[in-house]
Amino acid sequence: MRKIISSLTDGRGFDIGLVALPLGFLFLMSGLPLLYNVLMSFQEVDMFSLGSFVRPFVGFSNYVALFSEPETWPIFANTAIFVTASIAGQFALGFGLALFFWVNFPGASWLRGLFLVSWVMPGLVVGAVWNWMLSGDFGVINFLLRESGIISGNIFWRSDPSYALWAVILANIWLGTSFNMILLSVGLSSIPDDLFEAAELDGANVWQRFYTITLPMMRSSIGAIVSLGLIFTLQQFDLFAAITSGGPNNASNVAQYWAWDLSFRQYDFARGATISVIMIVFVMFASVVYVRSTKQEVRG
Amino acid sequence: MTQQIELSGVNKYYGAYHALRDIDLSIRKGAFVALVGPSGCGKSTLLRSLAGLESISSGDLIIAGEKMNGVPPRKRDLAMVFQSYALYPHMTVEQNLTYSLRIRGVKKAEAKKAADEVAATTGLSILLHRYPRELSGGQRQRVAMSRAIIRNPKAFLFDEPLSNLDAALRVHMRKEIRMLHDRLGATSVYVTHDQVEAMTMADHVVVMRSGLIEQQGAPLDLYDRPVNRFVAGFIGSPAMNFVPAKVGADGETLVVDLGGPQTIRMARPLQPGLNVIVGLRPEHLLPAEAGRALLHLPVASVENTGAATHVTTATTPELTLVLNGRIPLSPADSVPITFDAAHLHLFDAKTEMRLVPA
Repeated sequence: MRKIISSLTDGRGFDIGLVALPLGFLFLMSGLPLLYNVLMSFQEVDMFSLGSFVRPFVGFSNYVALFSEPETWPIFANTAIFVTASIAGQFALGFGLALFFWVNFPGASWLRGLFLVSWVMPGLVVGAVWNWMLSGDFGVINFLLRESGIISGNIFWRSDPSYALWAVILANIWLGTSFNMILLSVGLSSIPDDLFEAAELDGANVWQRFYTITLPMMRSSIGAIVSLGLIFTLQQFDLFAAITSGGPNNASNVAQYWAWDLSFRQYDFARGATISVIMIVFVMFASVVYVRSTKQEVRG
Repeated sequence: MTQQIELSGVNKYYGAYHALRDIDLSIRKGAFVALVGPSGCGKSTLLRSLAGLESISSGDLIIAGEKMNGVPPRKRDLAMVFQSYALYPHMTVEQNLTYSLRIRGVKKAEAKKAADEVAATTGLSILLHRYPRELSGGQRQRVAMSRAIIRNPKAFLFDEPLSNLDAALRVHMRKEIRMLHDRLGATSVYVTHDQVEAMTMADHVVVMRSGLIEQQGAPLDLYDRPVNRFVAGFIGSPAMNFVPAKVGADGETLVVDLGGPQTIRMARPLQPGLNVIVGLRPEHLLPAEAGRALLHLPVASVENTGAATHVTTATTPELTLVLNGRIPLSPADSVPITFDAAHLHLFDAKTEMRLVPA
């Protein structure tokens, strides 16, 4: 007994304790719900069996039923479009801004800090602001497009099925760009200046330096930001709740919003859990990419 | 001999800060020029201005007969070896070597052949497929050199390339760089803060201080005839001893103030009553036989390296002597010293400029 106590204060016991605490926390707060979610996707769940763990096991029939629904594939397609377009937009704008601020003109770091405002705003607030801007009758975006002659009639961003998803994507790009910019800025500033000088003396022009030095040196940063982007956009919920609620007629519905809708509005917990499990697979993949790319940092 | 690099009246300002002042420097083809001086003296700025990484504010920069003032670095055809080596960490040694060739559109097979040839001369052949992070400091240094050599540039620029190596390797690489320079018939400009490196490697040494060229010339000229006290103190190791003195009434003797006055004779007369600074190199101070001593110096500490005895004296200012062989001395002894009057350096106490005996 004495031995155990002394090892706790100044030995391996202390180390194990330090590791066990967060591990236990993770297992209790993330692991168990995750496992419970997976379990539910193989069970028949209704309002009356919610309180017990022991429910009829139905195998893959939840999955089979899910994919026989007519709205399933369109919603997954929406999810794919939402994720791809959001990441592409956030990354392109974020990288552009990072390169812009990298020039380090007077006030650059101050201005860069200001950009973070969009990232610290709650999604629901951002959604409300974009609601006003995207508003069909008096929204500022329609005003700008109309005045510059790009459109002749108003676009009803939130209620027109062909624009609803893009309205959320627009807001999400705005929300995530600054985070991309900050992470990519860090990546850029970690490239030693003398590499560019050496390349310049070796005869490389601006574009050649970008493709042969900047991009390859940024590989781990880019891998990290894209996989984080995948995780964050698959988590994006507030903007859907605030802007379109998945409508009209599922035109802007995505997997994460649908899973919530099924579980907590239609009380079809099994179906909701099934969708979540499918998403977990994608997020796990993104996590592996993220961990790998932050591990394989190329440093001279 | 044709001039490979010519600078005339070059000035460089960073805002109000005057980093380079009226630099005039000619470097002939095949020369090995060392820029040396304490940190912040402008030697690196000068090198980077040659490379085009800094722009000069005024004056002319001519490389191989062409005015290069506003020309971007990539069009100057100069190769630089950086202090940090600046190897491309995401490329293998071979890719590092062939980078400049690939940028210029040289065919793959040709570039590989060139890399193989250079690697063979610098001993990198077996390392071609390694990444820089898998190399030792000395090997990285070789890669940096090879990357410069493969281009066959108009001139090599070295920015303190040996300062990250340990002492033994540094001495070895000193010789190797100089041999490479000679074999390639290259023109090299070499920046260092280490005057020993400058003295041993270069044909032409440029001593700089606060953006000014204090003196330039052959290494031994700088050693023998420093134009001012700064150059005298900078060149030579251990550093020259300086002692305040006054020319005697006859103009032929010096009254040296070493805590107490001592009188020595000069080789040539000077204006009587002039305040001067006497410079004496430690290696020029010799132990005297009895009765022939020019100075008697009390000993403060003795360090024996085996080959020589380093003595610090208990005078103000204190002097350093390097006496050949092993001399049994201990603190509180007095050591009789003699020297050749021709080795006496005299500087004006006010201007610190070298005094040419009248």
